[in-house]
Amino acid sequence: MNFDALTIVYILEIVVGGLMVGIGVHFVPVGGAPAAMAQATGIGTGTVQLAAGSGLTGLLAAGLMMSVTDNIWPILASGAVGAMIMMDATMLTGGWIYAYAVGAPFASAKVNYDPITGYSQPPYVAPGTVGQGIPTVCYVSGTIGALMGGIGGAMIYYPLMMTNHNPSLSALFAIGIFLVNAVLASWNIQGTIEGFHDPKFKRWPKAFRSCLVATLILALVAVTITGGA
Amino acid sequence: MTVGGGAGGAPSAIDPKKLRVYGLAGALVGIYLAAILNSVLGTDIFSILAAAGAVAAAVMGANAVRRVCGYGIGTGVPSIGMLALGMGIVGASFGLSTAEQLGISMAGVIIALVYAMVFGYIVGAIANKVMGFNIPIMEEGLTDLSGAGAMAIIGWSYAVSGSLAYADMVTKVFNTGYLAIIFICGGLAILHPFNANLGPDEKQDRTLVNGLMVGSLATVAVGLCSLATLSTTAALITIVIGAAAWYYFYVWYYRLVKRDAAAVVGTGLLPPSAL
Repeated sequence: MNFDALTIVYILEIVVGGLMVGIGVHFVPVGGAPAAMAQATGIGTGTVQLAAGSGLTGLLAAGLMMSVTDNIWPILASGAVGAMIMMDATMLTGGWIYAYAVGAPFASAKVNYDPITGYSQPPYVAPGTVGQGIPTVCYVSGTIGALMGGIGGAMIYYPLMMTNHNPSLSALFAIGIFLVNAVLASWNIQGTIEGFHDPKFKRWPKAFRSCLVATLILALVAVTITGGA
Repeated sequence: MTVGGGAGGAPSAIDPKKLRVYGLAGALVGIYLAAILNSVLGTDIFSILAAAGAVAAAVMGANAVRRVCGYGIGTGVPSIGMLALGMGIVGASFGLSTAEQLGISMAGVIIALVYAMVFGYIVGAIANKVMGFNIPIMEEGLTDLSGAGAMAIIGWSYAVSGSLAYADMVTKVFNTGYLAIIFICGGLAILHPFNANLGPDEKQDRTLVNGLMVGSLATVAVGLCSLATLSTTAALITIVIGAAAWYYFYVWYYRLVKRDAAAVVGTGLLPPSAL
């Protein structure tokens, strides 16, 4: 293993990928268990599950593209689209359940007016809850988050694949790096966030610094790993 | 989101330092004993010992989870288990790969453990210093967790590959995708015990016995995987011992649940009026 210029580029790509995952998590509307009971805005599960779901879909899409080309741009695009489809499908079907099965109006408790549609929010927030469902701004924010997560995942996968040429090893290693960044970011938002309009979003520089240090340490060893026999 | 039980750390009957020694020593002894016995006797039936080592590491991890999550981290217990396995998988593949490149494949476990624990300490320091968690045992807890994750991955991987050589690990565990099963089952053994038992009446022995139970179940899963990679005898030994251990710990766990529960009553089916 020799650290030439290309290796440094690979390390940088992994670090940028990790940072995009860490920041992307801040865009995804996660409500956790309260959201599963329609007492908070967002998708009713944990950040890590969502990030892992969209990240894995992105990795699969990126891996499929990588089997036909070595050009980084279509691989990144394919990873991003895969993650976005997964996240949007989750939010859409989740939204149907909130609207037609739970019967909750979509409302954000963090802003008075939806920044995208301009609709008033407070009248629709049920007393004792912090919003329900997935309002338009959360949906758009979640899509941006999945875009960043998907590009980030693909950007971790691509240099790993270029150094060890083993798809399964690269994918599992990428999942490891992905999970570390997703968990650090979800600790930063303390488990729940509505999206880029949430006041908690302003904490992203902390996640940026944390993910930078963590991913750098992982990236330095990631490029030394060989693909086995 | 699930947050931990009592603030200020969960009370424990078994000292965490003692459990750490048991967990790490158990994992190292199990993996190395399996590796040495298998290579000296030219067989693969001792692979179960590595799985037992992995269970010891997972119990240490489960104790670290209950200590850290006892303070309440706000994101649910599963996140920290996934973090442990994420750190562990990086440490495990780095350790085994580096040892192979240096030509001493036996040292891979130690390299993996050291790297994972150092990285865990750094992540713990980041969580406290940058994110302001201010959990006094965060560094210690994440060091344990990361080491436990790496040892669990290597131990159960060994039970599938039957060899510590990196090339065997890659062809039998990574390329076959069995690592994904180890990842999730091993993660459950670390995160599930506290996730299932948390609350004001959480007891250390009940949580840890639950960890042993889930770890044994993971061993059964790993044994099923090893049917495809090892000899049938070795795989059957892993499956049967895993299942027997699961039953033993299940009965033990049920006893502890009955001890801690206010009452255990059969509710029967739903009354006709509720249907």
